[in-house]
Amino acid sequence: MIKNFRIEKHHAGIVAKATLFKCLRYLDKEVVETPFLLIDGEKLREKVSLIGRSIRNSTVFYAVKANPDREVIRFLHALGTGFEIASEGELELLLSIGVEPAKIISSNPVKSLKFLKLASTTGVNRFSFDSPDEVEKLAHHIPHCDVYVRLSVPNEGSEWPLSKKFGVELDEALALLCRARDRGLNPAGITFHVGSQCTNIYNWNIALEKAKTLWDMAEKSGIRLRLLNIGGGYPIAYTKSVVSIESIERNINALIYDKFPEDITVHLEPGRAVVGDAGIFVTTVIGKAKRSDENWLYIDVGVFNGLMESVGGIKYSYIVETSKQARHKKQWTVAGPSCDSFDVIDKNVTLHEPQVGDIVLILSSGAYTVSYASEFNGFSIPKTILI
Amino acid sequence: MIKFNEKAPYAPVEYLYDVEEILYKGRSRFQEIIVIRNPYYGRMLLLDDVVQITERDEFFYHEMMTHIVMHSHPEPKKVVVIGGGDGGVVREVLKHKTVEKVFFVEIDEEVINVSRKFFPTVSAGMDDARVEIKIMDGADFVLNRKQADIDAVIIDSTDIIGFARSLFTTDFFNNVKNCLTKDGMFVTHTESLHFHKDIVIEIQEVLKKVFPVVDLYTAPIATYPGNWWAFAVASKNLSPREVRRRYDISTKYYSDEIHRQAFMPIGMYEKLMQRKLEW
Repeated sequence: MIKNFRIEKHHAGIVAKATLFKCLRYLDKEVVETPFLLIDGEKLREKVSLIGRSIRNSTVFYAVKANPDREVIRFLHALGTGFEIASEGELELLLSIGVEPAKIISSNPVKSLKFLKLASTTGVNRFSFDSPDEVEKLAHHIPHCDVYVRLSVPNEGSEWPLSKKFGVELDEALALLCRARDRGLNPAGITFHVGSQCTNIYNWNIALEKAKTLWDMAEKSGIRLRLLNIGGGYPIAYTKSVVSIESIERNINALIYDKFPEDITVHLEPGRAVVGDAGIFVTTVIGKAKRSDENWLYIDVGVFNGLMESVGGIKYSYIVETSKQARHKKQWTVAGPSCDSFDVIDKNVTLHEPQVGDIVLILSSGAYTVSYASEFNGFSIPKTILI
Repeated sequence: MIKFNEKAPYAPVEYLYDVEEILYKGRSRFQEIIVIRNPYYGRMLLLDDVVQITERDEFFYHEMMTHIVMHSHPEPKKVVVIGGGDGGVVREVLKHKTVEKVFFVEIDEEVINVSRKFFPTVSAGMDDARVEIKIMDGADFVLNRKQADIDAVIIDSTDIIGFARSLFTTDFFNNVKNCLTKDGMFVTHTESLHFHKDIVIEIQEVLKKVFPVVDLYTAPIATYPGNWWAFAVASKNLSPREVRRRYDISTKYYSDEIHRQAFMPIGMYEKLMQRKLEW
């Protein structure tokens, strides 16, 4: 018997019909134990072919942290994508799949010694940095490698701002590039990150303007840069539609064309934009309660085992399994399975009332979900299934 | 004049129809059923606010849903129609003299009743002695059919992500195959090639895992968003592209000539399946 889901107009802007169709077909066929994350391979293929298409001289390096599932990585590798990593664990994963070191970069400005040692033996040789200590570490472990300095740029308008932890201002960036050169490294370029899930298209304008200033400053100091790594940040639709990747890239491409030399190399590091809207979390209602005026819905995935980003402000869209007879909607507070009061995913969610045991689909949940999950309170980390 | 604004969740366009009169409005166990009258299209049947047929142009869909498989089969005698509660496909099937038996399997009896009352020219064939009406889920019908004696199975369902999904599972396709004769043919509507080509491809791929021969043809449907409608057709060995019987029935759009040109050129079909058609 097929399951009956409430699919409404507002879902159409969030999840592709083909992705939903594949997901529902999977649920109709398989007897499955929730929670788990379904990833639509065709959607991945579509996103990989879209991203970078409108930016000349660009190469895409998938940010492995977004979803490091082995099958997902294997699939992306087969599509020819490069990878951006931060740690020895991510490097080991890529090597075990057979990813060539030439397709790997690391934009983590502060790398562990273990990672550097492993990288030095494998031939990975493009790294970001933003401190004198990192120059010393790189010079010691991977002499002559290519390095690109992390510039701090505004993250306003991003739902997941990043810049405070990393990045330096112009003068310091220049000093670092010079220092890298003096220590025998190859100062290749500049990187920045506008913040993940960036819906403010002007962040790229400001960032590229600042990068251009540094580019010229370097040139005056005798350093000819050639690489611009523009990080990630492309948004996906969670509860409302977002500016399209084509429009963002057309803007970026025009700015780069305007400001930088013709032979520039551009690197992109999308993570969320590649895997986010290809993913649907499949969860089950484990309980319901009415506490004063509040309707609580408890599902088997929560803040600790997959939906950590809800704490940072990401709001998801839900499709609930209900009988056709359930005509009325209610406002719900959606919570995870653990005993921690912090484990609340969302408030004021309008949904038809499901029953205990019914499935709840959480849309656009392919990125930064399972990769954040812990086994807190004994709830296991959900599996990722590529379909 | 009041208007009807169609809200198919996944259509990137919305159609707005003038409504001269609401002739019927009711809710069955499965869906909301409405019949309106529009000055151009005449009577229109709406299920859950999505246009199914109109008096003026229903023949495009019904003829193209039916006659491709009926003419590529050398001698169709037993036919199963699943869905299509309005009766349009059954009417078309009965135009073929070879037909001895039609199992008309509809899950929602209310659609049949409404069609009898408001679309007499569409539901005309329902009472023919060769027709056996079964009120049940089509998926259960093919599951329980133990002998391989059906010459054609025709699926005329509502949207593939709604409750008609039971007619798009791999199990269902396998069960259909098991009840078909060796020359048996299967056809189902898929989606718009303009708007949902990825789903059209997906269904082709799923069918290819079940049937040796899978193909695709299209027809222009004015009221379905995306208009360029794709039909997936599959068989155990015969190519549906070939017209194997003389065309001697009365139709408005379908003909043996249309039959041959309705299929995608082979080169384009291959490009589609390799996902090289970019739009």
